[in-house]
Amino acid sequence: MNVQFRMRTLSLFSFGLVVTQPVIFSAVGYFLARTAGRTHIDFIHTIIGSGVMGLWSTLLFTSFFDLRADRREGTLELLVGSPTSIFSILAIRAFANVLLGSTSFLLSMIVAMSVFDFSIPSGNLPYFFVSLAILLFGFWCVGIFLAHFPVVSRLSGLFVNYLELPIGLITGFMFPVSLLPIWAQWLSRLIPISWGFNGLSTSFQTDINMPALWTYWLTTLGISLVYLIGTFYMSKKLQNMIRVTGELSSI
Amino acid sequence: MQIENDHIINVENLQKTFYSIRGFWKREKHPVQAVQGISFSVRKGELFGIVGPNGAGKTTTVKMLSTLLLPTSGKATIFGLDVVKDTNLVRPRIGFTFGGNKGLYSRLSGLDNLKYFAELYKLEPDIITRRIKELLEVVGLTGRENDRVETYSSGMQQRLHLARALLHDPELIFLDEPTVGIDPVGAREIRQLVKDLIKRGKTILLTSHYMYEVEELCDRIAVVNHGKVIALDTPAALKTQSSGDCVIAIQTPNGEQSLQGKLESIQKYLTQTHTSGDTLSLYTRSPSKVLNELAPLLEQNIITNIEVRNATLEDVYVDIIKNHAA
Repeated sequence: MNVQFRMRTLSLFSFGLVVTQPVIFSAVGYFLARTAGRTHIDFIHTIIGSGVMGLWSTLLFTSFFDLRADRREGTLELLVGSPTSIFSILAIRAFANVLLGSTSFLLSMIVAMSVFDFSIPSGNLPYFFVSLAILLFGFWCVGIFLAHFPVVSRLSGLFVNYLELPIGLITGFMFPVSLLPIWAQWLSRLIPISWGFNGLSTSFQTDINMPALWTYWLTTLGISLVYLIGTFYMSKKLQNMIRVTGELSSI
Repeated sequence: MQIENDHIINVENLQKTFYSIRGFWKREKHPVQAVQGISFSVRKGELFGIVGPNGAGKTTTVKMLSTLLLPTSGKATIFGLDVVKDTNLVRPRIGFTFGGNKGLYSRLSGLDNLKYFAELYKLEPDIITRRIKELLEVVGLTGRENDRVETYSSGMQQRLHLARALLHDPELIFLDEPTVGIDPVGAREIRQLVKDLIKRGKTILLTSHYMYEVEELCDRIAVVNHGKVIALDTPAALKTQSSGDCVIAIQTPNGEQSLQGKLESIQKYLTQTHTSGDTLSLYTRSPSKVLNELAPLLEQNIITNIEVRNATLEDVYVDIIKNHAA
């Protein structure tokens, strides 16, 4: 695992991006809201949402480009040919990616609390940490799912940009999902991180709606497990597919 | 899991077809038969070589045996285990390297590379530490393990590849062109490492373009062309199968044309000829008769140099490939 972390921090530029981007986005979100004349700042969707967006971007790009880097370095064949399943390898990488991306979120929280006087009621802290853990679990499951595509297709990296902002929009990071058209709301329900983010938002409320919170937690866990189990079975089929085409060493 | 007659690799009519997609609007699949039916077996403790021209199917064969590719048809077993059905049982018992600079994380240190791959092979942490230390010494990289792989020379990278392939102490090792792109000193060190591995009881399947290398190292050699084995024997036996026991190399400063009409009397003694630059190589089983005919040409300065030598494995290989192509 520590080798995985070292690989992700090799580039000071990319590591700096993970650190500075959420701070910049959070600040921009806050000042845009103030400039629009809002007296009550929706911290969830301006600042916290920026942090979660940073987490999503980190996970998405590292999941896709990790494997592309493996193809370029010629190590993908060695990974597939090892006794450890590609599912396990990608699961550990996705975990490292989520942990790295969560620094974006934590930094947003620090900015919100230290600069913009945001606070979490002390009684909410346990619910906040549980919601955060469940949200990160959701991210992890989605990350493993996404990471399999570069194994199969050399062109899958082209679609990364199509996923970053649209997923960020329909999962409710930047504004409530209820503002979206019905069809987009239905799409949002298929993604565990939408539910996870709702759980996180609910944990900040002064008067927590516990039935709603439990619904968000259990739905996040349930849909995440569906992704995880589905990816596990898909992984076996993908392994055989790539052993037929023999494209592991081509970029 | 039966191992037949101490053969740990058994390959029966292995075939592999790839599909090349052509066209933009109407995409058509064109089959490319990389391996058209290869059969051979390798004994325990043997160093078995596979040679052949580019595109012959050597690397594809190695990749099928190391479970990276699924064969289109045919069967291959390693330690009595099917490479298709028993993949998870085969992988922990084999190691493999592919030639070239790829296959390592260049921005990590040699040590981190080895640690990562050791974890992939599910080695215990204390074994990882001990094994890495041993292997770094064996491959001669002690003292450089904390440097990034991108700072290593090609020879050092290839040695690190070998160390990586040996981490889990496999019984069988596939080496695909291990000395390609390596300087002569580095290549010699790698060949010595390979010999040491055989002394330790490993079984090795090696592919190479360098005939002197396979001649030096291999117990038996399979010559592969167009996806088929066209010759298989020990280096010594292959040399006796050659069209000529002797090679007479003639240097002609004015080119082969100056010899036109002058070699007709010796044609009956020649089995084949080969031209390279200003040197004409004559293959013959009757060297004395050929030399008698060539002597006057030497006096007339039509030929400036004659060299007589026994056919090398490279000569035999070229002969076999040419005959197969014909």
